[in-house]
Amino acid sequence: MNLARELGKRVLALAVVLFLVTLFTSFLLTLVPGDPVDTLVPVPDENEIILERKAQIRERLNLDEPFPIQYAAWLGDFVTGDMGSYYRVTDEDPVFDRAKEALPVSLQLVLYSQILALVIAVPMGVLTAYRAGTRFDRATNASAFGLLALPNFVLALVLAYYVGVWLGWLPVDGYVNFADDPGEHLRHMVLPTVTLAASQIAIYMRLLRSDMVATLQEDFIQMARSKGISDRRVLWRHALRPSSLTVLTVAGLNVGALIGGAVVVEVIFRLPGIGTELAQAILQRQYVALQSFVAIIAIVYVLVNFAVDILYTVIDPRIRHARAGG
Amino acid sequence: MSIETITTDVATAPASEPVEVSGTRKLGPLGWVCISWLVAIVGAAVLAPILPLDDPSESFGEIARQGPGASGHILGGDSIGRDMLSRVIFGARTSLLIAVGAVLLGLLVGGFFGLLAGYVRGRVDTVLTTLFNVFLSIPALVLALSLVAVLASPDPAGQDSISHTRRVVVLILALGIVTVPILGRITRASTLSWAEREFVKAAEVSGARPSRIIFREVLPNVLPAMMSIALLGIAVAIVAEGSLALLGVGVQEEPTWGNIIAGGRRELSNDAPHIVFVPSAAIFFTVLSLNYLGDVIRARFDVREAVL
Amino acid sequence: MGRRKRNPSGTTSRWTIRAALVLVFALVAVACGGGGSSSESDGGGGTDEDAGPPQMGGKVVYGLEAETTDGWCLPEGQLAISGIQVARSIYDTLTTVNDEGEAVPFLAQSVEPNDDYTEWTIELREGIKFHDGSDLDAEVVKNNLDAYRGKYTGRNSVLFLFVLQDIADVTVEGPLTVKVTTSRPWVAFDSFLFSSGRMGMVAQAQLDSDACGRELVGTGPFKLVDWRVNSSMKLERNPDYWRTDADGNQLPYLDELEYQPTPEATQLQNGLDAGSVDAFHVSSNTNALIIEDLREQADSGDISMTESGDFAEAGFLMLNVTKPPFDNPIAREAAAIAVDREEQNNVLNNGIPELANGPFAEGALGYTEDSGYPEYDPDRAKDLVTQYEEETGEQLEFTISAVQDTAVLQAVEFAKQYYEDAGMTVSVTSVEQSALITTAIEKNYQGITWRNYPGQDPDNLYVWWYGAGNPVNFMGFDDPEVNELLDQGRTTTDAAERQQIYEDLNKELNKEFYQLWASWTIWAVPAASDVHGMVGARPVGEDGVSTDGSSDYPGLALGVDPALIWREQ
Repeated sequence: MNLARELGKRVLALAVVLFLVTLFTSFLLTLVPGDPVDTLVPVPDENEIILERKAQIRERLNLDEPFPIQYAAWLGDFVTGDMGSYYRVTDEDPVFDRAKEALPVSLQLVLYSQILALVIAVPMGVLTAYRAGTRFDRATNASAFGLLALPNFVLALVLAYYVGVWLGWLPVDGYVNFADDPGEHLRHMVLPTVTLAASQIAIYMRLLRSDMVATLQEDFIQMARSKGISDRRVLWRHALRPSSLTVLTVAGLNVGALIGGAVVVEVIFRLPGIGTELAQAILQRQYVALQSFVAIIAIVYVLVNFAVDILYTVIDPRIRHARAGG
Repeated sequence: MSIETITTDVATAPASEPVEVSGTRKLGPLGWVCISWLVAIVGAAVLAPILPLDDPSESFGEIARQGPGASGHILGGDSIGRDMLSRVIFGARTSLLIAVGAVLLGLLVGGFFGLLAGYVRGRVDTVLTTLFNVFLSIPALVLALSLVAVLASPDPAGQDSISHTRRVVVLILALGIVTVPILGRITRASTLSWAEREFVKAAEVSGARPSRIIFREVLPNVLPAMMSIALLGIAVAIVAEGSLALLGVGVQEEPTWGNIIAGGRRELSNDAPHIVFVPSAAIFFTVLSLNYLGDVIRARFDVREAVL
Repeated sequence: MGRRKRNPSGTTSRWTIRAALVLVFALVAVACGGGGSSSESDGGGGTDEDAGPPQMGGKVVYGLEAETTDGWCLPEGQLAISGIQVARSIYDTLTTVNDEGEAVPFLAQSVEPNDDYTEWTIELREGIKFHDGSDLDAEVVKNNLDAYRGKYTGRNSVLFLFVLQDIADVTVEGPLTVKVTTSRPWVAFDSFLFSSGRMGMVAQAQLDSDACGRELVGTGPFKLVDWRVNSSMKLERNPDYWRTDADGNQLPYLDELEYQPTPEATQLQNGLDAGSVDAFHVSSNTNALIIEDLREQADSGDISMTESGDFAEAGFLMLNVTKPPFDNPIAREAAAIAVDREEQNNVLNNGIPELANGPFAEGALGYTEDSGYPEYDPDRAKDLVTQYEEETGEQLEFTISAVQDTAVLQAVEFAKQYYEDAGMTVSVTSVEQSALITTAIEKNYQGITWRNYPGQDPDNLYVWWYGAGNPVNFMGFDDPEVNELLDQGRTTTDAAERQQIYEDLNKELNKEFYQLWASWTIWAVPAASDVHGMVGARPVGEDGVSTDGSSDYPGLALGVDPALIWREQ
């Protein structure tokens, strides 16, 4: 029952946050200086057709209404899939279509990078915890520290040029659908994934190491060792599981955070993901599209956060036991 | 924005030992190296106008795209022959101005509200925390990017450009708004734990005014946490400026580390990689130093951001 | 210094085989009495004959420097070269250009004027269909022409409205015959039916569509399959295309064509190296160094390259003369002579392109060596600035709007120092490519970086310079001498007279410093070494059969003919 109440509280909090976040993104449009319609359709008011069109857009966006009505209308549209458009004089390009194509690309990039990061960080974290205090540990920690200081766009540019062009091993831009050609799809995703994973590796490794070090000092570990269980089994079988909660939580949270946060990497490698669309919308001053993309990114982030939060609450033995206890 | 993620999310993680890089809580030789670098770069940035440097916007045809050492220019020339050394140092001015300005804004506003939330608690806390969470719900770079895009958008009716000063202000504002919730949460968490302490209770009982208690008793103890995150924040802001420059919304009139890199992108394949590498190295060492010192402070003052 | 080659061991084996094949071919050719060389790289323009006869099939990925986000509702369009390249893949124009830059019939069977050039009769070819199966007939051509000139309900022409103002009426005279009546003699009207490849014929369905920019139906060599904005446009072969090559093969050669918009040429170059891009076009205007690199690669056989400086366009700084400071000729002259253009060209472009002295490049009608454009003169510039300040009481300050391209921005930054040395105050702002034309139309600038005037009949440039309430004259001047010369050029039939008229126009434009010239552009189309057939334009003869290549238009400023691209199988 407690769990259900917890859940209920969280769902309420979720709704509040979603509401406020989308309120803010709607508010963004009002911050644009001058008349937003003139910015969206930067064509001189030369003739009837143009004037009519601008009036039409103004009405569509409820720009003459007070802000609460604007927001309500926007919300109604948004949840039914109408996320606005890229506006032109004669026609428009619905944002939803672009977002539909772009979101999976970003999701793939983020998932691959998290997987890669964990695959490398987990063993490294375990090892450095096991060999805590040794030169190996210090060297690895120092390298991780260094990796964190490297801006991801520098890594992206360097990898793109030196690995992609100079060595010619991998493609440096573009995207191929997995369904069309799995091999090419993966080849195109390698460099962006590595770039994104780099800093994640450093963080996860350090997180895991810190938790492992704490776990390894606990009684049940000593007991297992005294029973003669090999170090390897103790590390991987007994110590890793309770220590991995934080890392997995953060990795999960990062999936949400990186959907938008990977915008620079997407742009450098020309991946047609949400980040690229966002950057394009900005360059073209299509602020309605911008608003929608920011909303999408924020909603995804909040939902992922929520999911991870719930999972965490359910899984974490300490919290569960505490609750059971009183 | 990985560091941002870890600071906010470690804040919700169970208590763990702060990870120490060097293994000690003392400053150590490495710490002094970091401080020296920072002093040097900040000093150079501040003193740039009076240092014997070339004009950062003057082109010397013969060093265009030439690497370090060309014609006596220590760090070479950029794509149109401007001296890289002076551009990087003048670039430090604007980049650091933006980064430090943003974090100061975050400290003042976020710190204030964090203290308030952590001390007063109750509904004030709920409201403030919810607000923090709302802004934290938009990935930092995306938030900064959209704020800059919107606020620095030229008026379609007027001339198609906005002034350098305005753009810098917008960048500071946008990056500052992004750091407010982070610093707010850290401050709040730290305040929560310190507000339970004996001496604070004692002060309350003795009838001292809340504002006095907050600023006299609580703040000095919360400061280390704020400072360590602030240093990390400056590092993140420097990188963020670079990202924004690459995305085309950064400063354009004056050099910054970010826009030098952005302009040097195409020169990688023209055998002039130093245009990207030199400012990248500057960023790297500065971020490294800030991170290290931030970590040292955390270890030193035993900063645990463990409270939910 | 050039670029590194790709993974050496990988390329070596490929090249060994290829070299061997070429050698065998050459030996055979010699034995049979021919005399081919074994080099595969090209210098300036034209096809590479040594690659053998064109082969059918295959796919090419072609990189463009920009996306045309508004789409291809041609009558309403304002296409730049990347848009033109795509347009030529899906649509055909009624006329095209030949090696002399003269208009010759293309989609149309014939385009003939009457004696005083006031009536033009267009005869269409029989049996041509649009991609949706509808017929190309006089009715749809008339509707197209009306749409272009703003007389078709539902379509809102912007650019062509003014270009085609001298058309009085368009009538259908027969199932395949259209007559155009002009309000005054229009000698070069047939070249307007080409308009640099912008005046393609659009199917009725597209003309009447609400999504005219995206529902693309033409008669051209390729059909639209899929268009992902800013990502890629996929096209497939039109199996019923009306053109065949000189050997009787039905064009196009390729089965598939894909366009990828990529703003940075270095990325395109990287893509070519990596194999993700098979060809792209690049101009010396912004990427002279890349062209230098590409030349090296072509010389060593890594890639093939077609290049041309013929019929070049000019890069220049366009000045807005409707508002200060450039409403004052003193300011304009000062800006013109303040910059050391040679130094700029050397530093930025390694001196590769040629400095322009007027809108007409060598070989184009109207070119003259002494066009009157002055040399770099910093002292006089300073004097003029002082004079300006004394006369107007204002500082000479202005903002340069530069297109959002690193190379252009850097060129402007470079020039900025020279302006400031002369005493001017200059700031730079960047304009996104897609907003460029709007900024110009609205005259929302003081000086803006521009590129225009590709070499064909100079009458095509009438609309850019004619004053008197012409919104497409982006500079906003109304110069009676210029107007006079333009009108004469349009209506004079004698070739020698026209040459003189346009030379005078050249000099007059320079006297007023409306445009501050940079350089004439060299366009290059580098391609993978197994991709050939990059031709600016190729006239057709009777029955829609392509000519043999001897009268190909050598210029590349209008893109390449997509139907002629082929790939070794």
